[in-house]
Amino acid sequence: METFWETFKRHGVSRRDFLKFATTITGMMGLSPSMIPHVVRALETKPRVPVLWIHGLECTCCSESFIRSATPLASDVVLSMISLEYDDTLSAAAGEALEKHREEIIKRYWGNYILAVEGNPPLGEDGMYCVVGGRAFLENLKESAKGAKAVIAWGSCASWGCVQAAKPNPTTAVPIHKVITDKPIIKVPGCPPIAEVMTGVIMYLVLFDAIPPLDSQGRPKQFYGNRIHDTCYRRAFFNAGQFVERFDDDGAKKGWCLYKVGCRGPTTYNSCGNIRWYNGLSYPIQAGHGCIGCAEEDFWDKAPFYQRLTTIPLPNVEASPDKVGAVAVAAAAAGAVAHGVISKIRNKGGK
Amino acid sequence: MIEAKKIYIFSPGLRVWHWINFLTIMVLFFTGLYIGNPFFLGPVGVEATYAYREGITMDFIRKVHFIAGYVLLASFLFRVIIAVFNKRDRLVFPAVWRKDYWTSLKEITLKYTFIMKDKEGYEYIRNALARTFYPLVYLMILFMIATGFAMYGMSKPSSFWSFLLGWLLGFLGGEFSVHAWHHWVAWLIIIFAVLHVYFVIREEAIKKNGELSSMFSGYKVFEKEPVDIKDIEE
Ligand code: HEM
Ligand code: HEM
Ligand code: SF4
Ligand code: SF4
Repeated sequence: METFWETFKRHGVSRRDFLKFATTITGMMGLSPSMIPHVVRALETKPRVPVLWIHGLECTCCSESFIRSATPLASDVVLSMISLEYDDTLSAAAGEALEKHREEIIKRYWGNYILAVEGNPPLGEDGMYCVVGGRAFLENLKESAKGAKAVIAWGSCASWGCVQAAKPNPTTAVPIHKVITDKPIIKVPGCPPIAEVMTGVIMYLVLFDAIPPLDSQGRPKQFYGNRIHDTCYRRAFFNAGQFVERFDDDGAKKGWCLYKVGCRGPTTYNSCGNIRWYNGLSYPIQAGHGCIGCAEEDFWDKAPFYQRLTTIPLPNVEASPDKVGAVAVAAAAAGAVAHGVISKIRNKGGK
Repeated sequence: MIEAKKIYIFSPGLRVWHWINFLTIMVLFFTGLYIGNPFFLGPVGVEATYAYREGITMDFIRKVHFIAGYVLLASFLFRVIIAVFNKRDRLVFPAVWRKDYWTSLKEITLKYTFIMKDKEGYEYIRNALARTFYPLVYLMILFMIATGFAMYGMSKPSSFWSFLLGWLLGFLGGEFSVHAWHHWVAWLIIIFAVLHVYFVIREEAIKKNGELSSMFSGYKVFEKEPVDIKDIEE
């Protein structure tokens, strides 16, 4: 296969633009400027990598996000950097021919291709809740993973399970690491993940022919190392104790911190605070809505999204932890007093 | 009547630890409640960039919480170290392998349910219920330290604390769940403290044995020889 530089030359890209591109993506991958020569070297020598992109139970928001990547443009990634050999939602071809093609790619690039999984497999009823090309997606997934060099878990579905795995999870949908146990998996959670994060991960894999440094939960550290809260531009309001209490109050108009209306920024790891969305245009908190923690495990089960902590489901009461705690302490104190009075009477005399 | 006997139980180190521990937990609990639910606002008329240092703000309260957190950690380590070197300070381990633990468990249950009178039965340096609950309290404190420093450390992903405890966040089902656990166990500790203070006062009121002052003086008074006396003898 031709190298990136060769592809770029063929497309009439100048050396100068090529170097600019290398510099930009170095930053996008979260690498220091001293890595630029390595990136250039890799672009000049590394062949393009075949990618197989499959879809399970999902809403396709990851693909929607991906094709809106601005730096580098998704089209650049798709057309020049990787060779996207199979993607049943993006490809023009469809049906049996395409499925046949998938099998051929697996054979041809055995041990060399990257498998990108969007969505996840439901295990219930032998996987019949998600059928692709007449077969359970579960089988597709296992088959496609066998010859892969590495697996990317796109979005919260593939990484954690997401909405289809939320309680009570009627289809027994599971994240892909429950099914694929013998391959390195890179989790890129988010509902959807940020486009530049997605392309950044792919570029790293392709250029360095290595898995990016992962944290203890399997996410690339350069994109999931920080909390939204620690990179949020509203943080000064948090530190100062200036909080929005309701979405129509004065604080909301002034752009204060959304902590008290349920912002999940303090417990969510993602790049929304620094990379932001749509070419750095904005992100949910900037738009005035708290983070809902879409990149975290089981975030759907951690509702209500407009309260800081979850309540205990008791009938007809809003049982916040502090209310329950205060009642329990009061009960303990009252019980102690009653117990004390009886103890005193019971032990009277006979000293 | 047998001569009442004063027995030395609590080492100076343990007593100092107990009160430092009590004070830090109180500070941690009240600052923690504010962190969980900031029920009053900071200085509203001041530009946010500078307002964090004007009076009692979230920033200040969190700083106090973290400093107290370090004090709690230091005193906990101190508590572990004195237990290594001093037999008395190992009284905290429940002696479930001994018969007297089970006799005591039976007796204390009967006493607390008013079936037995307090002065009946054997005397103990520490009754079985206390022997059961104190280790759990130490575990709760350790849990608060571990979850606390895990959350604290992740503000700087390359820090020592995130290296040491970062895995805990994923292990407990994400940081949101860790916040919830940290919050619930805070209340459990306070519920323990209320009952603990009650049982101390109860013991004092019924037996007049110096229980209440024992955590200051180190001594308690016994009318009979306690059956678990070996636990504190050198
Ligand atoms: C957050 C609050 C508190 C905690 C976590 C706590 C914890 C403990 C622990 C773990 C012990 C056992 C020490 C050992 O042998 O290892 C103990 C003993 C003791 N504490 Fe506290 N304590 C608290 C508050 C108090 C208060 C407010 C009082 C005063 C009324 C008190 C009085 C005592 C006494 C008298 C003992 C000795 C009791 C015995 O050995 O049976 N404590 N405490
Ligand atoms: C018995 C001891 C402790 C008690 C009672 C306590 C109590 C609390 C409470 C109630 C919260 C609010 C939880 C929430 O709703 O998010 C909290 C938060 C927190 N605590 Fe503690 N805590 C204790 C020990 C510690 C220790 C040792 C540390 C270590 C530095 C620590 C660090 C934290 C951190 C980092 C937070 C989250 C702050 C934030 O989200 O801004 N805590 N604590
Ligand atoms: S808006 Fe959310 S992420 Fe931003 S400072 Fe407030 S709580 Fe943190
Ligand atoms: S701000 Fe929070 S909920 Fe919104 S996209 Fe980012 S991680 Fe997801």
